[in-house]
Amino acid sequence: MSSAGFTSPFGANTNPFGSGRVDSGPGPMHRVVEEDENDAVTSPTTPSFGLTNAGGGSVFQGPFGGDATSDAPPSGLRSPLNPETYPAQYNFGRRTSVSAESLKPVADTYDNWTPPVHPKSQEQIERLKEAMSGNFLFSHLDEEQTSQVLGALVEKPIPTKGIKVITQGDPGDFFYVVEKGSFDIYVNSKGSLQPGPDGMGQKVDTISAGGSFGELALMYNAPRAATVISAEPQCTLWALDRMTFRRILMESTFARRRMYESFLEEVPLLSSLTPYERSKIADALKSQKFPAGHTIIREGDPGHSFFLLELGEAVAYRSGNDTPVKHYHKGDFFGELALLNDAPRAASVVSKTEVKVATLGKSAFQRLLGPVEGIMRRTKYVGVKSGVEDTDPLHVPGA
Amino acid sequence: MAATVAPSQSLLSGGGGLHPLQAQGLHAAQHQSQQQLHQQHHQSQQQSGSDGESFDLTSRKLTLDDFVRVRTLGTGTFARVVLVRPSHGTEAERSKVYALKILRKTEVIKLKQIDHVRHEREILADVSGHPFITSLVASFSDHDFLYLLLDYIPGGELFSYLRKFRRFDEDMARFYAAEIVLVLEYLHEQQGGIAYRDMKPENLLLDAEGHIKLVDFGFAKRLGNNDNDHPVETYTLCGTPEYLAPEVIHNKGHTTAVDWWALGILIYEFLTGYPPFWHQNPIEIYKQIVEKPVIFPHDPPISDAAKDIIRQLCTVDRSRRLGNISGGAARVKAHPFFEGVDWEAVAQKRYRGPIIPPIRYPGDAQCFDVYPEDDVNKEEYTSDLESRYDEYFKDF
Ligand SMILES: Nc1ncnc2c1ncn2[C@@H]1O[C@H](COP(=O)(O)OP(=O)(O)O)[C@@H](O)[C@H]1O
Ligand SMILES: [Mg+2]
Repeated sequence: MSSAGFTSPFGANTNPFGSGRVDSGPGPMHRVVEEDENDAVTSPTTPSFGLTNAGGGSVFQGPFGGDATSDAPPSGLRSPLNPETYPAQYNFGRRTSVSAESLKPVADTYDNWTPPVHPKSQEQIERLKEAMSGNFLFSHLDEEQTSQVLGALVEKPIPTKGIKVITQGDPGDFFYVVEKGSFDIYVNSKGSLQPGPDGMGQKVDTISAGGSFGELALMYNAPRAATVISAEPQCTLWALDRMTFRRILMESTFARRRMYESFLEEVPLLSSLTPYERSKIADALKSQKFPAGHTIIREGDPGHSFFLLELGEAVAYRSGNDTPVKHYHKGDFFGELALLNDAPRAASVVSKTEVKVATLGKSAFQRLLGPVEGIMRRTKYVGVKSGVEDTDPLHVPGA
Repeated sequence: MAATVAPSQSLLSGGGGLHPLQAQGLHAAQHQSQQQLHQQHHQSQQQSGSDGESFDLTSRKLTLDDFVRVRTLGTGTFARVVLVRPSHGTEAERSKVYALKILRKTEVIKLKQIDHVRHEREILADVSGHPFITSLVASFSDHDFLYLLLDYIPGGELFSYLRKFRRFDEDMARFYAAEIVLVLEYLHEQQGGIAYRDMKPENLLLDAEGHIKLVDFGFAKRLGNNDNDHPVETYTLCGTPEYLAPEVIHNKGHTTAVDWWALGILIYEFLTGYPPFWHQNPIEIYKQIVEKPVIFPHDPPISDAAKDIIRQLCTVDRSRRLGNISGGAARVKAHPFFEGVDWEAVAQKRYRGPIIPPIRYPGDAQCFDVYPEDDVNKEEYTSDLESRYDEYFKDF
C-alpha cells in the first residue's frame, strides 16, 4: 500500500485541502485544531467530558476558521450568504424526511382491494377532469388510472358558510376539488391555527368552483399549510384520500409490470434474463395504442424496436400474399429480432382490432442490459434461434 | 451548552413513558450523583471504581441502565441520537463512547414507521462493518423505546460543513461523491439490492479522519435483484423532498435507481450550496422535479464533467439514468468526473479527507449542533398499544 507515485485526482498536488497523498504528515489546511495540551479533556471519562468549552474554552480555536467558539455548532457559524450566488429565500436548515404509510400491492398481501366507485354524471366527470388536468400529480396518469381516480372522488356537501374544511397545522389526508361555491384560504404565520378571533391569520386567497386544494396530502401526511373555510352556504366538494390515490397508482402499475414480466418470460430470445433484468425491461416498456387496421411494423423497414401485444389482435403479412402468415393474441410478441440487429422487417404486422402494445427500442434495451448477443451467450442457448425462425415470420429466411 | 439539568428521576422506565433522556439528564456537575443513583439500581454491580467487572456489550441483552448519557447529537424526524458511554465495566470499557439512536414506540406507531424501523435494524446488522457505513453494535428495547447502539462517528454531519463552507469545490465534492459511489455499489450490487432512499448531507457523517460514514438506514429496504422472494420495486413514498426521484413522486414503483438520482442532487448541492429543485412549498418542489431539467448557475462555474454526471444521474427516464443502466456503479466510476480516481485507494481510505474534523478526544461532540434535550411528544404507550404492536418490536 505504498503511496509512492500516487497522485490524487482530488486536486492532485494543487489540492487546496492539503496533499491528496497518503501520508502521515501534518494535517491539511482545514485541520485548524490545535494540539491539545490539556490532558484533562482527552478522556471521555473525565468530569469535563461533554462540556465543549471546558476550562474557559480558550484551548481550542474553531475548526472552521476565525472566531469559532466551541459552543457554536458548525452550522451556526455560517457566514452571511452572498446574495449574488445564493438564493436568498432558500431555507438552509436541516431537512426532515417524509414518509407515507407503507403500501404493498394486493398480490403481495392477499387482501381484496378494489378502488371505491362513487357514481357521477358525465357532466360532473368532465368538470372534474378539467379541474384536475393542470395538476402534475394527475397529468401523467393513463386512462385507466384516471377513470379510477375520478370514480373514487367522493362528494362532500358543505351546507353552511364558515365550515373549516382543513385546519392549518393538522395532519392532512384528503385532496379536494371545488364543485360548487367558494372557499377562503388563511395562513397564520405561526404555522398553525391559533385560538382567538384572528387565529386563522391572513386571508391569502379564495378558491371557487373548478379550483382544488390540499394536494400534498396525496403524497404523505404533512401538516396542512393553511386553513380553508367555506365562504358561502351550500358548497360542494369532491374529496380523494391519499391511501386510495396511492393504491390506485400502485395496483395498476404493479399489475402491468407483472404482466409485462410474464410476457417477457415467454420470449425465447430473452429466456436467460434474470428476474431482476426482466423487471428492468418491464420498467422501461412503453405502452402504445393503435386503432384497427394500423400497420405497426412494415416489411422492409429497418427494425428498431420489439413489441408485446397487451390487448387486441394483430396479423402478419408478407408482400405478395394476402393471407396472413401469423396471428397474434394477447401476450404474443413480435419484432424481437430488432434487439439483435437492424435487419429489415421480414413481414408487416397490422392490427386487426384496436390494440395496445408495449414496446422497447433496441437502444433502450442495450442501455439497460447491454447487447442481446451477450445475454444469449450466457447460457448454453439451446435451439432458441431456430425456434424463432420457425415461429417468427419477421425473421428473414436465410439472413 | 449541551446538557440540560434535569431533575433526578427514577431511571426505571414505566413512569408514564418518561423519555430516557429526561430520566438520565446528565450534566457534568451532576455526574457524581447520577453515578450514585445509578448504582442504587445496580446493587449487584461492581463499584465503578478504578476497574469494575468487565462489561461485554455483546454478551447479553442491554438496558438503558448500562449507559450514561452525555448529550444529544441529532434529532431527525423519527428519532433522537444521543452520545453515551457504558455506565460500568473496566476503565477501558467505560472510556468508550457510542451513539444511541432512540425511537419512541408511540411515535413509530403514529408515524407508521413500524416496517421501516424493523428494516433499519435488520439491514444495519447486515451491512455493519463496511468502511463507509456506521456499525450497529447492538439493539434493545424497553417499555417505551427502541434503541440502536451505534459506533459514534465524531466528525459531525457533512451538512454542517457544507453550510459552513457554503459550497465545496470540485475536488472536495469528488472525494465525498467517490466514497458514496462505493457505498451505493456495495448496497445495490453486493448486498442483493438494498435501496438506501434517504441520501442527503444530513445523513452523511465524517469520521475522525474525514471519511464518509453513512448513517440513518431508517428507509433502507432490501429489494430483490435475483431469484428470491423480495420484490424488485417498492411503492412506499419516503425520502427527503428535495432529494426525491420523479418515480417516487409518481408512485410508479421505485428501485435502487432512486439513490443514483439522489447522488446527482447531492453533487449539485455540494457544488452550488443548494439543491437544484427548491421552493418553500413542497408541492412546487415536486412539480419541478418531474417537469424541469436541472439548471446550473453561472456562478460558481461548474465543469462540464460535473454538469454531465449530474444530468446523467438526474435523468427522469430510468432506462437512461447513470447507475441504473447497464454496467451499474462501474459506469458511474468510469464517468469523466471521476477521471484519475484510483478506486482501490478510495476503498482503502488512502486518500486524505479534505476536511479533518477538529476532534480533541474520543468522546468530543463539538462537531455536532446542540439540541434541546427534551422530547416534545410524550404520548403514553398504553397496554392496548402494547398488546397490539409489541410483537413487531420483538427483534429489538
Ligand atoms: N452513529 C452516529 N454517530 C454520531 N452521530 C450520529 C450517529 N447516528 C446519527 N447521528 C446524528 O443524529 C442525527 C439523526 O440520526 P438519524 O439516524 O438520521 O435519525 P432520523 O431517522 O431521525 O433522521 C444524524 O443526522 C446525525 O447527526
Ligand atoms: Mg436522518
